[in-house]
Amino acid sequence: MLKIGLFKFSSCSGCQLSFLRLNEKLLDLVDKLDIAYWVMVSDNDVEDSYDVAFVEGSISTPEDIYSIKDVRARSKVLIAFGACASFGGLNSIRNYMVQKDVEKIVYGSSGALSVKSIISYPIDFYVDVDIYLGGCPPSLSDILEVIKASILGFKPRLPDYPVCVECKLSENECLLVNGEPCMGPIIRAGCGALCPSLGRTCEGCYGPQADPNPNSLADKFREIGLSEDEILCRLRKYAGMHRDFRGIAKL
Amino acid sequence: MSVVGSMNTFIADLHDLDRLVEVARSRYSVYAPVRRGRGYVFSKIEGMSDTDLRYNRTILPPTKIFHRPKEVLLRFQLADGPEFGEVVEVEPMMIFGVHACDLNAILRLDRFFTRRFEDPYYLARRRGSVVVALNCNGPRDEYCFCASLGTGPTVYGGYDILLTEVRDRMFLVEAGSEIGANLIDEARFRRASMSDMEAKKAVASTAKREFRRYADFRSLSYPVIEVLAHTVWDEEADKCFSCGNCSLVCPTCYCYEIYDTLDMDLNSGFRVRRLDSCQLYGYAEVALGGNFRKSRKARLRHWMVCKFGGAAGGELSSCVGCGRCIFYCPARIDITSVASRLREAV
Ligand code: SF4
Ligand code: SF4
Ligand code: SF4
Ligand code: SF4
Repeated sequence: MLKIGLFKFSSCSGCQLSFLRLNEKLLDLVDKLDIAYWVMVSDNDVEDSYDVAFVEGSISTPEDIYSIKDVRARSKVLIAFGACASFGGLNSIRNYMVQKDVEKIVYGSSGALSVKSIISYPIDFYVDVDIYLGGCPPSLSDILEVIKASILGFKPRLPDYPVCVECKLSENECLLVNGEPCMGPIIRAGCGALCPSLGRTCEGCYGPQADPNPNSLADKFREIGLSEDEILCRLRKYAGMHRDFRGIAKL
Repeated sequence: MSVVGSMNTFIADLHDLDRLVEVARSRYSVYAPVRRGRGYVFSKIEGMSDTDLRYNRTILPPTKIFHRPKEVLLRFQLADGPEFGEVVEVEPMMIFGVHACDLNAILRLDRFFTRRFEDPYYLARRRGSVVVALNCNGPRDEYCFCASLGTGPTVYGGYDILLTEVRDRMFLVEAGSEIGANLIDEARFRRASMSDMEAKKAVASTAKREFRRYADFRSLSYPVIEVLAHTVWDEEADKCFSCGNCSLVCPTCYCYEIYDTLDMDLNSGFRVRRLDSCQLYGYAEVALGGNFRKSRKARLRHWMVCKFGGAAGGELSSCVGCGRCIFYCPARIDITSVASRLREAV
């Protein structure tokens, strides 16, 4: 039995919902999987140890720092589950604004007084992470791959090549060549080139590919007419906190 | 009045070709270039109205039909003594409207996949197939450069049927095999006249003179220091995304990777082959994280030198001048301009 826990930090719960969407696929694993902690579906108490912890969300309050270290201490394998946990995600776009202003916008002048928030960091700013599952949310096939690999005790096979590979193998036209600001060349595959296959540009939710070249993509975006602001927004949207993008996303 | 055409040369308009497709469809799945957005893809067609014989190039080359971008090679199950079952997906196929560059690429892959070992998956699909080639009356657009590599624009062999547009949407039809001859026979085309055949010769001789893109890869395929240490590689690598698009769309790039996927019962599963690219970081990765081509520059250089004919595939993986990698490179990296920079140095 593989004992797993699902934990949530600053996030929208969409990654956990994806876990639920595995539906009957999880039934095949009922005798191999013990979902010991998952607030969304049961009120089990926290246990001393977990084989695998799926952690959703970024770290954005002082309490979060304490909790993520606690989860780490209890878990043999820790998975950064989704874009927020892996790279800061959408939450991290507030890092580029003055903290007090953000608090006022979100909670109003009076509510803001009781809020203690800090820079929104991916969880690996505070603890070691064993496996990163990018995506907003991660694809079901990637989730299944890590579950299967964890049960069998081997390294999951997750793509580290760019979205363009899945896009070209699906024989899509290239949006970027046609002058649309697709992030595909610098973003990790896994989604099956979902957006480009529907004629929409890749927004970057899987985070950086193995060896990205964001400087060249910024040049390309300039060439097709994006403003400096628009370029920054695209680079910051999901993974501006990642070391591969930080320099050019200008934190 | 010219009545004596050649015995096996015919003339056909689009209606006549429609009959050919209809005859073929009783035995084959017919694949031809079909519009997708601003591009084209080889897909199944039901008649000539589905295809456009004036297409410039397809996104993936027709080699994808034999060497699939992704395919299941075998199924297995592990418990109670392992069992394996080969999975070969075959259907009799006609590939309709193949340009000279792409036909030459198919002929190279034929040799590559039978060189030392026979690739049963490739061959099962290729052996039963029929190729209808289509001559080009000049470069299809500014990206074509087959003429300087001797791989087009005119086809010389390797086809079952060959089409040449000799007048506006009138095609000279020649058989190149018995299967081709029989299909033409059943489609009941009119015999070509002497002037039709003269027209084909005229098309071929003007076609090759109209190219404005030029490439000469000879002397660039040897690992000489002037090529390998040239500054052009640094400049181009600064732009390159390592996205792999160039090699994934290349008709002579055949590199693939193989991996296993387990079903949810963790017992049965299947083995997959997927097109790979030497431009990707993971391509040259080995156990314990070692990597033979860590830098983007090394990967870009490796790919181009392979296309010059300098890698293990030699001539079989070298460029046929189809222009895809130039058109589909989001960074606008151009193998022909890199080659001319290099040639100044050797
Ligand atoms: S559309 Fe986007 S993902 Fe697809 S090949 Fe072009 S840049 Fe890459
Ligand atoms: S490269 Fe040559 S053979 Fe290929 S499409 Fe262009 S003109 Fe035709
Ligand atoms: S290297 Fe480029 S031009 Fe040459 S065959 Fe490959 S895709 Fe076509
Ligand atoms: S040369 Fe162009 S298409 Fe090829 S990997 Fe580099 S950026 Fe991508």
